[in-house]
Amino acid sequence: MKIVKQYKVIALVAGVLSFASCAHEDTLGKSQLDYTQAEKTELDNWIDANYLNPYNINAQYKWNQNTVDNNRFLFPPMVDKVQPALDVVKKIWIDSYTTVGGYDFVKKVAPREIVLVGGVNSNTNGTRTLGIADSGQRITLFEVDYLDKKNRANVTEFVHTIQHEYVHILNQNKPFDEEAWQKITPGGYTGTWHLEVLATSRSLGFITNYARNNVIEDFAETASTILSSTKAEYAAILASMPADGRAKLQQKEAIVVQYYKDAFNMDFYALRDAAEKNTNMVVNN
Amino acid sequence: MKLKNIFKYLMLGFVALSLGSCSNNTDAEQLFDQTPTERLNAQKKELNDLLFTSEYGWKAVYFTDDTQLGGYTHLFKFLPGNKVEMASDFDSDTKTYTSDYDVVLGSTVSLLFDTYNRIHLLSDSNSYPTTALRGKGYLGDFQFLYYGQENGDIIFKSNRLVREVRFVKATAEDWADLSKNLITQQNLIGSSARPLFRSLDVNDGSKVMKYDFSFNVATRYVLAPSIDAGSSEVLSFGVGYTPTGIVISPAIEVAGQKLTTFLYNDTDGSFTATGTGGVTASIKYSNSPFVLTDDYKLLLDGNPQMVFGYIAANLYTAPTTSAYFKTLINKVNATLPANQQITRIQLYFNSPYGTYIEYRFAGGRPSIYHTVTTSENAANKTIVLTNDYWDNGVAIIAPPGYLAEIDAVFTNTAGLYVKKESFRITYSNTVYTFTSAASNFRITTYQL
Repeated sequence: MKIVKQYKVIALVAGVLSFASCAHEDTLGKSQLDYTQAEKTELDNWIDANYLNPYNINAQYKWNQNTVDNNRFLFPPMVDKVQPALDVVKKIWIDSYTTVGGYDFVKKVAPREIVLVGGVNSNTNGTRTLGIADSGQRITLFEVDYLDKKNRANVTEFVHTIQHEYVHILNQNKPFDEEAWQKITPGGYTGTWHLEVLATSRSLGFITNYARNNVIEDFAETASTILSSTKAEYAAILASMPADGRAKLQQKEAIVVQYYKDAFNMDFYALRDAAEKNTNMVVNN
Repeated sequence: MKLKNIFKYLMLGFVALSLGSCSNNTDAEQLFDQTPTERLNAQKKELNDLLFTSEYGWKAVYFTDDTQLGGYTHLFKFLPGNKVEMASDFDSDTKTYTSDYDVVLGSTVSLLFDTYNRIHLLSDSNSYPTTALRGKGYLGDFQFLYYGQENGDIIFKSNRLVREVRFVKATAEDWADLSKNLITQQNLIGSSARPLFRSLDVNDGSKVMKYDFSFNVATRYVLAPSIDAGSSEVLSFGVGYTPTGIVISPAIEVAGQKLTTFLYNDTDGSFTATGTGGVTASIKYSNSPFVLTDDYKLLLDGNPQMVFGYIAANLYTAPTTSAYFKTLINKVNATLPANQQITRIQLYFNSPYGTYIEYRFAGGRPSIYHTVTTSENAANKTIVLTNDYWDNGVAIIAPPGYLAEIDAVFTNTAGLYVKKESFRITYSNTVYTFTSAASNFRITTYQL
């Protein structure tokens, strides 16, 4: 037994030695990579003050090929268009959710990055992509150069994009009842939604043609269209639909309202009213 | 095995490991003195410094894709603080604008224009010169991979299409004269006062090969099919404008020489590139078509009836409708009330009522008919129309004064070239053109 003990000690020493023996590396020097920050412009400071610091969201307006689809012919926005666009987004989207969901709501559930692109992202089938949400982390907004704050239809379309993408992000955080949704208009979904006529889509119980793409888009379109329309505009949409389509859309609306209540404890209609109020403020000022 | 032996071997193993493990001798050959990071950083610094070495900045004629598009001249002046001043001849706005640039590391060191400026006009998916480029704009990039230097030029390759883009040192004149590129564009389009036909003559020092020159200003691209008998060669190249002429890509290769730079001659409107040993390439005007057809023979006396209609709504804007024809039509319309413009000019050959020209109007104004006789000019391959009488469908009338000028072209004694075209416009009808042998008059018609 004694000899075994002895060996144990020797083995321990040898083990320690062999692990320690190579530890003669040089101490780490300074990084060779250039980490100097570019000087911040007034716009950068504005973004920090209005997006980065309060909501932990970065707004990227300078080109970075890694955040944009390289197969598309896109370009960065004009610098003087960036702040107006971000201002519209903040007032109508962030402020509305903050009012109804609480100060920290957007900070907790939000894309970490908004990428702005100047021009149109046009597709070969003649449609144009207005926005993209990547895995709940990043929202890309196109056509920033063309945003006209005084034009209500234009502002509504632009905000609809971010409302739509944000609904995706909410869904990616807490899923909605896809099965129940699927049962309402199971036969209406189609890959060639862009060839459909709006009146036909509405008569089937879809709020837009794009809603017919799939259940996920249907939910996002239903929620975001209601959010970016006024109460009166949405009532007019319902009034224009045949009874059967209207009933189906209202079933979907009920699921949306329930989802906001159950998942985030938010009153969806209060949110819509806040968005309408904020939109009026943006367009009229 | 005994426990003791296990320990023995274990110890032996330890000793071997401790002795061998610290050797840091790798047999891999060191190709470079520096680590990849150090080399990339050095290259980045090299490019950053290089951008500031030219007093008046840099000039690049950017051919985004010289298989279908021409070159767009850009001037860059790099300033401290990652700012760049830029001007371009993409459109009539040749003013200088300031934006940001950066030298970034990716797969390699690249120059990136990261905020909006003139070069981004080439990369707008919604602004495309042909329907085939829908969604792709002008195929432009604004990130350029650094490939080193050559004779003081900086060599880049575009990020997506990997085309060479060469930055050459700009001069004060390059900045001052950029707007002259637009005059060159007009010269290359050609004035309506010049003849209708243009050839590209390539001289290899002993013989001349002729090509039918056509320039598409939307794409800045030239297609020139050979007009020599037995040759089906087509020259095609993109065009970039300079204050004194054009540069082309790819080059025209003649007798082992590459011709790229053409100089403009305002006297005859020609553009000429000159090599050595009598080698030249020249874009020249010509008064007559290069290929004369026998299509006019179908219209001579004794043939079945043929009717051709110029329909203003569809054919006024046809590429083959000449500016001089439009001028004459506009003059006629200017004399008429706004609701009674010319809608059609129809040519009836060998109808039961003879051969005549019908002028048809909008707004209920009755048509006017000019009956003519035809004859052949076999040498020039033209058909000659000769006045017989005018009528309004009811009675013979005096020649109407407001139609005199345009009608005189149809009945000019030099005659009309007739060509059955291979293209279609809007409808499936065969298109025929009638070109005056005496002036820049060409009318585009449907066979009806």
